[in-house]
Parts: sequence; structure tokens; C-alpha cells
Amino acid sequence: MKKYGPVRFLPLIYSIMRLSAFVIAVICCTAFIVFAHPPVYAQNPLDKTITINLNNEPLKQALDKITAVSGVNFTYSETVANSRVKIKLQAANKTLRQVLSEALAKYPYSFSTLDQEVFIRYDPEKLKMSSTGTQVNAVDDKYTISGVIRSQKTGESIIGATVRVVGMPQGTSSNEYGFYSLTLPKGTYQLAISAVGQKNIVKDVVLHQDTKLNILLEDGEQELQSVNITAKAPGGRDLESTQMGVEKLSVRETKNVPVLLGEHDIIKTIQLLPGIKSAGDGGGGFYVRGGSADQNLILLDEAPVYNAMHLLGFFSTFNSDAIKNVTIYKAGMPVQYGGRLSSVLDVKMNDGNNQNYGVSGGIGLIASRINVEGPIQKDKSSFLISARRTYIDAFLKLSKDTNVNRTSLYFYDLNAKANYILGDKDRLYLSGYFGKDVLSADKTTGINWGNATGTLRWNHLFSNKLFSNTSAIFSNYNYKIKAQQAASNFTVFSQIRDLNVKEDMQWYADEKNTISFGVNSIFHTIKPGEISATGNSGVISQTLQSQYSLENAAYVSNSWKASSVFSLTYGLRLSAFSILGPGDFYMLNADGNITGTRHYTQGQVVKTYVNPEPRIAATLQINDMASVKASYVRNVQNLHLISNSTSASPTDKWVASTNLIKPEISDQFSIGYYKDLSDHKYELTVESYYKSMDNQIDYRNGADIFTNQPIETQLLYGKGRAYGIELLIKKKIGRLTGWLSYTLSKTQRKIDGINDDKWYNARQDRTHDIALVTIYQLSPKWTLSANWVFSTGDAVTFPSGKYQVDGTNFYYYTERNAYRMPSYQRLDLGATRLLKQTKKFSSELNFSIYNAYGYANAYRIYFRDSKTDPSRTEAVKTTLFKFVPSVTYNFKF
Amino acid sequence: MMNIKHFSLFLIFAALLCSCDKVIDIKLNNSATKYVVEGVVTSEAGGAQVLLSQTKNFSDNNNFNGVDGATITIEGNGALNICTAVGNGVYQANTLIGVPGNTYKLTINIKGNTFTATCTMPQIVTLDSVYVTVDNLNTNKDGSIRKYATVEYKDPASVKNYYRFIQYLNGKKEKSIFVNNDEFTNGQEVNTPLNFNNDNDDPARNIKKGDKLNIDMLCIDEAIYKYWYSLADGASGNSNTASPSNPVGNIQGGALGYFSTHTIQHKVITVP
Repeated sequence: MKKYGPVRFLPLIYSIMRLSAFVIAVICCTAFIVFAHPPVYAQNPLDKTITINLNNEPLKQALDKITAVSGVNFTYSETVANSRVKIKLQAANKTLRQVLSEALAKYPYSFSTLDQEVFIRYDPEKLKMSSTGTQVNAVDDKYTISGVIRSQKTGESIIGATVRVVGMPQGTSSNEYGFYSLTLPKGTYQLAISAVGQKNIVKDVVLHQDTKLNILLEDGEQELQSVNITAKAPGGRDLESTQMGVEKLSVRETKNVPVLLGEHDIIKTIQLLPGIKSAGDGGGGFYVRGGSADQNLILLDEAPVYNAMHLLGFFSTFNSDAIKNVTIYKAGMPVQYGGRLSSVLDVKMNDGNNQNYGVSGGIGLIASRINVEGPIQKDKSSFLISARRTYIDAFLKLSKDTNVNRTSLYFYDLNAKANYILGDKDRLYLSGYFGKDVLSADKTTGINWGNATGTLRWNHLFSNKLFSNTSAIFSNYNYKIKAQQAASNFTVFSQIRDLNVKEDMQWYADEKNTISFGVNSIFHTIKPGEISATGNSGVISQTLQSQYSLENAAYVSNSWKASSVFSLTYGLRLSAFSILGPGDFYMLNADGNITGTRHYTQGQVVKTYVNPEPRIAATLQINDMASVKASYVRNVQNLHLISNSTSASPTDKWVASTNLIKPEISDQFSIGYYKDLSDHKYELTVESYYKSMDNQIDYRNGADIFTNQPIETQLLYGKGRAYGIELLIKKKIGRLTGWLSYTLSKTQRKIDGINDDKWYNARQDRTHDIALVTIYQLSPKWTLSANWVFSTGDAVTFPSGKYQVDGTNFYYYTERNAYRMPSYQRLDLGATRLLKQTKKFSSELNFSIYNAYGYANAYRIYFRDSKTDPSRTEAVKTTLFKFVPSVTYNFKF
Repeated sequence: MMNIKHFSLFLIFAALLCSCDKVIDIKLNNSATKYVVEGVVTSEAGGAQVLLSQTKNFSDNNNFNGVDGATITIEGNGALNICTAVGNGVYQANTLIGVPGNTYKLTINIKGNTFTATCTMPQIVTLDSVYVTVDNLNTNKDGSIRKYATVEYKDPASVKNYYRFIQYLNGKKEKSIFVNNDEFTNGQEVNTPLNFNNDNDDPARNIKKGDKLNIDMLCIDEAIYKYWYSLADGASGNSNTASPSNPVGNIQGGALGYFSTHTIQHKVITVP
């Protein structure tokens, strides 16, 4: 383990840091491959010699005895375990191969090695072969086996479950709706099915016609006694797939990770992965591979979420009770995703239990949650309703400070979903989210904001090879500010709304090719501001010009399994963004002053930006344990969030591309090395990337961010680049699980008109980023966990001098972002105590401490005249969170 | 104008999470000094003066760093006025009274550097009244009611107007910068409270009954409005903006600062 650890690896990276990024990528990965391949001396288990005497032992006992004398473990399915075959055999100093050949000669069982174990499978063809003496023709008829993989307990479909043909290279994984399809030659197979948080199972399949096989998986971690009756899929992850730069997390995996104020938050857990950085202490925003926070496409059941944050960024909008899993793509985004430069965060809600009614919930320090789900028709349809509300405002009422106790500060969310099976081939899903934040000082002053999304989806199977999903999606984000000043009242309302239709098809064409294709059309309406005012302020009520646009895309890609070791995915997404009237559009000079205006009428097309987005990814599997992948992806972004504040604000401005604001474009090359270690107990991932970004946007110096001037008058444009290397070591099995992640990266911008047009570090440029996540199952009742994170401070602009204007000190700045915030570190501890677990009721208590050693991290640093000595100026550091404890009670019945 | 401070609400939340501020030592680079120009021509006698100073290192004291020895002229309305040095970086043109509608040109020569700026004095907009309003949202640190000076004027519809207000409480200047434009109030009767955040909780900054409140109203041009706006927004040392920057001024030749020709009116009230 240590051999591959980052400690040894760091000096290597350091020494080549100065080389250009892509060279780094190639060298590091090559170097790593060289280091990571110690010669293999392990003996083939079948070559072991044994001496054994078996006298009519049932097959399972016979195998157990062989294990006892040889130390070689067997893996087999239930068919083998329950076999009534009795083995009679005497062997002295024979190899295991000879022993097994002899023992199984008369029976329909065959054997092969599986890593250091021996796999025994039911093989009815074996006897037929020996009786006729002919081989089965491999290019015989082919048939398709397909179906849906679900949880046995709840009926939830399982996303990304791996289906493998034991002993053969073929395999697939279930799609977002749990559907899988696999085409194989006629024959008898064992399918090994595995998924995170589910027991692995092996199914015997006799394939002599197209077959429908729905698979139910049992909940739970691997139990020790079950190891022998299940076949372990080689590796919990898909080394063969061309997909790279992806992390999948199920909510189940993250529930023991300690978090701020006990609110489990999947976005905060993904921030602990390499290449994903948190936007501020305790914050729910994140940066992926040097991109900005708005360059992440956040989807909730396929609906874009524009402001995925509650409480000014401290909590995400995703209530973990309602979430099934999340997938984040940092590179190599599949063609069906587009519209943002840096990443895709695809969040899927639970479908609801179609077996039994259930209620679960939690009571925490600042929020409570409740979740109700159950069948509408057993086995066929289900619903889920999940709600959460904070009650910080109750604590505010206790405050003596009248400024504080009149304040309302809360958020709530509601997730609801229902699905209905229309028949063998059709299934409907309706899901919705509604969330709202309220932050107000009294009745007349405050802000509220919220997202609402709705998705109607129709899954249809045209055949056992052609899967279709049709979606109609609605997404809305708005905020409303109320303010009172003297004798006047103001409200400002702003909104962004999408109407979206999408058709996705997956065609499992043959055993080598899987083709995805589809179309998508989104109508965006952005209302930047409706201002209404009463009173004597003189402010004239008005509506700022709305922006209308139509975003269309068509895409196709093919995943081609060229050979058992090489796969290639290649595709093209063609996006077309049309800016529509009515409205005024402007021409500007270099100083941002308006030189001309043109009016467009309703429906008139102002401009259409067409961009081809090629995507290609390849994987070369070195052996069962290791593979190398490479990819190139282009992404285009036509909705831009313009922000100049240090903390994410609900009022940050979304603007669409215009005749002047060009689409942002990124090109990302990445290369990665993936290896499973110690018999798949550890997963090692090393990825390196270089990303260029065009048409990046920033505010001019001194920009007025709330103006009724066209926004373009306040903007400057330029480019960006980001590169880095990421390491991840994960342990998924055993009492101790968790991961260690390390990122070495750089991200820079070059904007015409900023920093003398020279390259400068983006604010989120953090050279080093380390996260260690550990979860330890102490006893059946106690689970302990700890996180430790360390990162370089943000690149920031600090003064390089001061001067007086009008008798007051102001600060003089030279280079943009040439300073660093102090480095950041934090240890979080957590403990979960299972209180009660019966079939009908379970409950647990969860304790956590955020920033357990109370490290005073800098949330911000500001400068002022000294309070103690007015003849001096001083720097002041604000620290937000130190020793934040929390306790949460969770229940389920 | 619509400067809604959700940030203060954020601070309330942060306070709940026991946020704390601590003065720290920080190593800041020293930079080559730059000249700072504060050139003013007003509609009053004796109002025309130029302050010339230089930037200092962060760790230096706060004394005004005036620079003597410059040759400074202000040209306008057909006359060239020479500013005479009165010491510590202050230069005055005693006879120069600005006239609305005229453009003035400032020229400064110092040690081989030449800085120039032009500015047009806007037409005067009458300050109709000054009164005191109450903040219904925030109270002062000591629990007393927070009050603000409030100005009333009629914005002319035909032109773009920019305003700056300066407040003196019992003769002490309030350091907050108050500027307004008419983007959302063109042609209206405007009432605007001069609200500010008493960030160092100095009781002398709180407006109380019986206090003497002087308000100056300056009609400024667009470039000067932009200067004050960007100075307050980007260079005051607060951390609200992600990318602090030097203000956008109107001085050519590489100096910081501004040259403002503005009308000025004064009003005094006693706080009721």
C-alpha cells in the first residue's frame, strides 16, 4: 500500500511541476505505470499440489475440505452450493487442477481461476460436449438478455450495477433507470451482478432465446459467511469502461461521513474527492478542475438547478433522504450532457419503495426531516415525499439583541416523486422539487429565494436492445428582495425559467457496440429584474429587459468494445444557441460605452451560435487489475453567472450569451491510470488533465453590478487554462473504509483589461488539496468516522500600499490574486450509535464535531484602520467555524 | 441606489456560528510609490485646491504623505490659474471659482512626471431639504435607535445626474462615501437616506438628538461618480468583493486619484 502512496509520489510531481501541463500528465502516468507494476510471483492456485481423501462428500463439503488442505478458496453460485452431487476421490501429491478434473469429470460443473481463487460453475454444456465430442460454435446464434435491476427490499431501481459474465470479458452496467441489456452467443453463463451497498449475486443463465431477466439485489454489505456462496465480481468498479473523470456516490456510502451541523450533504462529500474543491469554509459551492462555480451543470432528476444552495451557501438543496445517488463527471462527459464547462453533477432521486410503506426521518440541531414512501400498487408503482425544514429562527428568537431576534432565517425543501409501470415496456416517472429560503430582518426587509423543478419521464422499451427515455422538464429559480428605506418600500424580483424537452435513446446494438443518441431543446427565460417602489424615494418602478433564448442539441455516440482489452467511445454533440427577441441589443466600444443599438421584435433571432462538441474516450485494459484511459471533451456554455462577491449570493446574476457575450468553450484532455490492489480491496486512480477555456467573463474594475445599463457595458472577456494531477486511493471493503485524495493543480485566467492583460491565478487556484476520509465499524452498534482536509489558501488580492483620499485611508493594489490566503486545514469527527434495530423499527444517534481541533481557518481577511492605534492600519482575519458540535436522531419504521 | 445589504444579514448568521475576528500579522509586499492626486474645483470661492501625495507601505503610519515641489495649473473658462503651494502637499488657487458648464484642465508637473485631467462642472441641482429618518431594521450597538440624515432634491429629467453627499456630525466628517445617480430616479423628487454601517461601533458616528448635522451636496460628473463608486467598492479594504482593485479615475499619466469640478451646497440642521 505504502508503495503507491502520495508521500513517495509527491517529490516526483514536484520536480516536474515546471514542465508544461500535458507533458506532466503523460510523464506522471507513464512513470506511475512503471512503478505500479511489481513483477507478479503469485502461483496459479490450480498448480498447488495436495493430498486428499474424499468419501462420498457432498460437493460443498468436498470443496471446503480442499480449501482446508490447500488454502485455496472457491467461489461458486447457489446452484453449486445446493448440489446433491457426491464426490469420491483419492489423491496424493496431485495438482489441484488434476484433482478437480477428476472429481468433476462426471458432473455438469467446470472450473477456472478467478484471481487467487477458483471459480466453480454449473455447466450443462460440458456433458453434452463430451458426449458428442464437438465444440460449441462460438459464432453461433446470438441472443439478448435484458431486464431491470432493483433492490429486493424497496423495489428501487439500481443505477450503475455491474453485470459481468463470469470468466469472460463481456459485461455491462445498468443505466439510470436500472435497465441493462447484454448480447451473447447461445450458451450457458453465470452472470455476476454487483452494486454499491448491495450483496453481490450470481445468476445461472441458459441462453438459447432472447431472455428477460429482472434481477433483485439484497441490501447490505458483504457479510463474511456469504463470501463463499457468491462470486466476487473482479473489482467493484468498471475498469473496462471508457468513462473517466467520474465519481459515483450513493447516499448510503456517505451517511457516516461527519458534516457541519449534522446535515448530511452529498455536495460536501463530493468536495472531498480529488479535483473538486469547496467554495469557502462550510460552503456548498464547489469548483471542478479549475472551473468556476457556475460551470457545473447540476441536475436533479434531469432538471437543471440554478442555485443549488441554501442559507447563503452553507447547505445544498439536496435533502439526502430523497436522493438515491449522485454522479459527478469531471472529464469525458457523455454526449447527452452539455451546457457547462467544468462538470456535470447528476443527482437522482429515490423512486419510492414499491414493496412496503415506510416512514423515516431525523431530528437535528438545526433541521428536521421526514420521508414517507410506499407502493401505489405493490411491485408496480410507488411514491415518495420527503421534506425538510430548518429552525434556526427559533434560536434567533431567544437572542436579546433586537437586531437578531426579529430576524427570520430558515429554509425548507420538498421532494416528491411517483412512478407507475404501464406494462412490460413502459414506465412513467413524475418527480418534483420545491425549496425556499427566507432571510428577513422584519416584515419589510429581507430576501427569499428558491428553486422549483418538475420532471415527467417516460421509459419505453422498443425492443430488448433499444431503450428510450422521453422527458419534459421544468425548472425555475427566482428571488425577491424587499427593502424599506425611510418612507419608501422596494421590491426586486428576478427569475430564470427553463422549459425543456429531451429524447434519449440507448441502442445495445450488438455485443461490441452500444449507441446513445438523442435531442434536447430548452427554452430559457431570464428576467434580470422587476423593480417596484412605493414612497418618496423617487425610484421608478420598472422591468429590466428579459432575455429569451433557445438551446438546442443533437447528439450521438458509440461505445465500441474493440477487443477484450481495448474500448473506444466516440461521439459528437452539436449545440445551437439562439438568442431571441424582443429586445434591444447593443454595440460597444473598447471602454464599454454604447455606440449603437438595434431593436429586435418578438421571436426574431438575434444570433445563433452553433458549436460542434466532439467527445472521445479510450481505455486499454492492462490486466484484470489495471487499465489506462484517455479522453478529450469539448464543452460549450451559454448561460453565465456573473459574480464579484466572495461568498455565493442568491442574487448573483445569470445572463445568457448575447451578440456580445460569446459562448464559453472548453477543451479538456485527460489521461488516467486505474489499478485495483490487494485483491480489489483498494482502488487506485491517477488522473491528469489539461483544460483550456475560451470567452471567460469577468467584471470590469469598478463595475456597477446593479444597473439598468446593458450588462455588457460592465464586462471584460478573456481566456483560462487549468491543469493538474489527481490521486485517489479508496478502500471499500472491510471494517475500515474510506479514501485518501490528493490534487496538485493550477488554474489561471488572462482577461483583456485586468492585471495588465497578463495571466493571473484564478481565485480558486489551490496548489495542494488533500482529503482523508475514514469510516470504521467498531462494533455492530458503533460506527466511527473522521475526515481530515488540508489545502493551499485561495489566490487573493491584498493591498501593496495605502494612500489617503478625502482624509480616509484607501488601499493600493498591484497584481490580481498575487497573494494567498493562509492554508486551510480541518479535522471532523463523527460517531453513529445504532440504538435499536428490528424489522419494523430502527433508530440511531449521530454525533459529530466539525473542525475538531479548532483550527482558526481564515474565512476572509480584510484591512482597516487599527481600532487600538488609529495611526496604523491592520489586517483582520475572520474565522467562521471552530468546534461545531452536532447531534442528530434518525429513525425509520 | 439599490444597494441592498444582504451582507449584514449574512453577518448575523455568521455571528450565530461564533465567528470571530482577530487582528493578524500579514506579510504584504511593498510596491514602488505612486502619486495620488486630489484635485477639486468648486462653485465657491476658496474651493479650488489640489492635494498631491504618495502611496505608503501598509505597515507605515497613517499620516498624510504630502508632496511639495510640484508645478500645478488649472486651466478653464479662458484663464490659466496657477496653484500655489501652501505646504504638506496642499496647493491652492484662491481666486478660481468654478462655473457650471465649463470644462477645466488640471496639469501637474513633478520630478519629470506630468499628470493631466479634464472635468466639466455639471449644472447645479438644488438641495431642497435635509431631515432625519429612522432605520427600522438596525439599531446602534448601544441599543439606541439608528438614525440617518436624509436628503431631498428634484432630479432634472433632461440630463444624467450624479451626486455626492458629505456628512459632518458635530463638525466631524463621516468617512463613508455617499454617491447617487439617477439611473432609477430620473426626473423624480428624490428622498434618500445617507445610510452607512458604523463598522467600528464608534458612538461619535451615531446621530443623536441635539446633534449638529451638516450636509454638503455635490453635483459631480459621470467619471467622478464612477471614481467614488469604485473607490468605495474596490479599495476600502473590506473583503466583500472577490477582486479588489484600484478605482477608475480620470487622471492621465499614471497617478491615482481624481480631478473633480463640482457645485457645492451646504445645509445645517439640529437633530430633533
